[in-house]
Amino acid sequence: MSLLAQLQLTDSAFPGGLYTLSHGLEAYAQAGPVDVAALLEDLLLHAAGPGDATALVLTHRAVTAGDWDAVVEVDRRLHAVKLGREIRAAATRTGNQVLRTAALVFATPELARLSGLVDGRVTPGNHAVVLGTAYAGLGVREADAVTGDLYAFAASWVGAAVRLRRLDFRQAQAVLYGAAGAIGRAAAHALAARGPLDLHAATPLADTMSAAHERAEARLFAT
Amino acid sequence: MHHHHPHPAVEVPSGTAMDHVFKIGIGGPVGSGKTALIEALVPVLLERGRNVAVVTNDIYTQEDAQHVRRTLDGVLDPARVVGVETGSCPHTAVRDDPTMNLAAGAELLERFPDIDTLLFESGGDNLTLTFSPVLADVYVFVLDTGEGDKMPRKRGPGITDSDLLVINKIDIAPYVRADLEVMSRDADRVRDGRPVVLTDALRGTGVAEVADFVLSGATACSPAR
Repeated sequence: MSLLAQLQLTDSAFPGGLYTLSHGLEAYAQAGPVDVAALLEDLLLHAAGPGDATALVLTHRAVTAGDWDAVVEVDRRLHAVKLGREIRAAATRTGNQVLRTAALVFATPELARLSGLVDGRVTPGNHAVVLGTAYAGLGVREADAVTGDLYAFAASWVGAAVRLRRLDFRQAQAVLYGAAGAIGRAAAHALAARGPLDLHAATPLADTMSAAHERAEARLFAT
Repeated sequence: MHHHHPHPAVEVPSGTAMDHVFKIGIGGPVGSGKTALIEALVPVLLERGRNVAVVTNDIYTQEDAQHVRRTLDGVLDPARVVGVETGSCPHTAVRDDPTMNLAAGAELLERFPDIDTLLFESGGDNLTLTFSPVLADVYVFVLDTGEGDKMPRKRGPGITDSDLLVINKIDIAPYVRADLEVMSRDADRVRDGRPVVLTDALRGTGVAEVADFVLSGATACSPAR
């Protein structure tokens, strides 16, 4: 049953507002030509892997161990390393909305506990932390959870690329399949994390583009 | 007036601010007058004692949000109007996955706890557009005469299932050869007699009736605070 629950949470049809995000791609597209596949690989290895994916793994472990102080620490640190306002706001908006629906649908004590902490303003409730909590409570293995979530990120990325007319639908699926290696490496990086200090992101150019996107005159996406 | 209001199969737990505020969804094709209707409706709702805020779903720019702010300058605090990007999926944002609109509404309520009425303007879309019952207690669909008087006959869930159908721009009907009688007769027929209001949102014609209908839903749908 944990496989089905994971498929449900990873599915883009699960309501969490992911379709409103381009994960920075729109800013690049507005600035000029962009290699969608190469940029996806960079983001997987330098942003999503050491950032969201690592937070998901650390949350999964902390929830499994019942260490809620560690969950809060991971959530706060992830919030802090997301430098751009758009990216930071998107992570908590989508996280809080997924939490609301997931807590209702799956009704695990772990999700109820996290809802209490988020409602009480103890912790921001980032998307990755909500998912780590959900997967831990649903018995989804750490490695499967992180790989699935990185896949969801990549699928969302190529979906945005199609809507921005940077890829056609066939190219999009080819790019997604071609990202498997980078998804695997990003997942391995996340799984090797030992504590919150391993949580980081180093994407100065993407952060700059994201800052420019905040003030763009026209945009389809929230990030 | 008969009020048809679908309820979600799974009850969302009550207790959050968004559950206690009255939510009005306004959808319709591009250029039918959704923004104009909101700009005409907000002053009427304020007069009738409602504390209002507006969430617009612009397709590409902040044009709608800015237009509402400008037009309602001095009437509604510009900070009570926010735009939400929808990743080029206007129907997803109000129907399949309205979570980002719910989030925007929740953030408005956090900043202005006095708000009791939220208007959600969908991005311009097609005739199939409907609102999630979680996002809108009352769903208003706006057509206009300029689209041609055959529009109501085309049906589509927006036209047939909305709580209120507004046919806007009645003032230009003669110039676009739209027969208002045909439009309202067809609309009544495809909607099984559920309400239809003819408006000229720019002059305010029919806007009081829209407000009457919408607020009749407020008592029926919105739990007391």
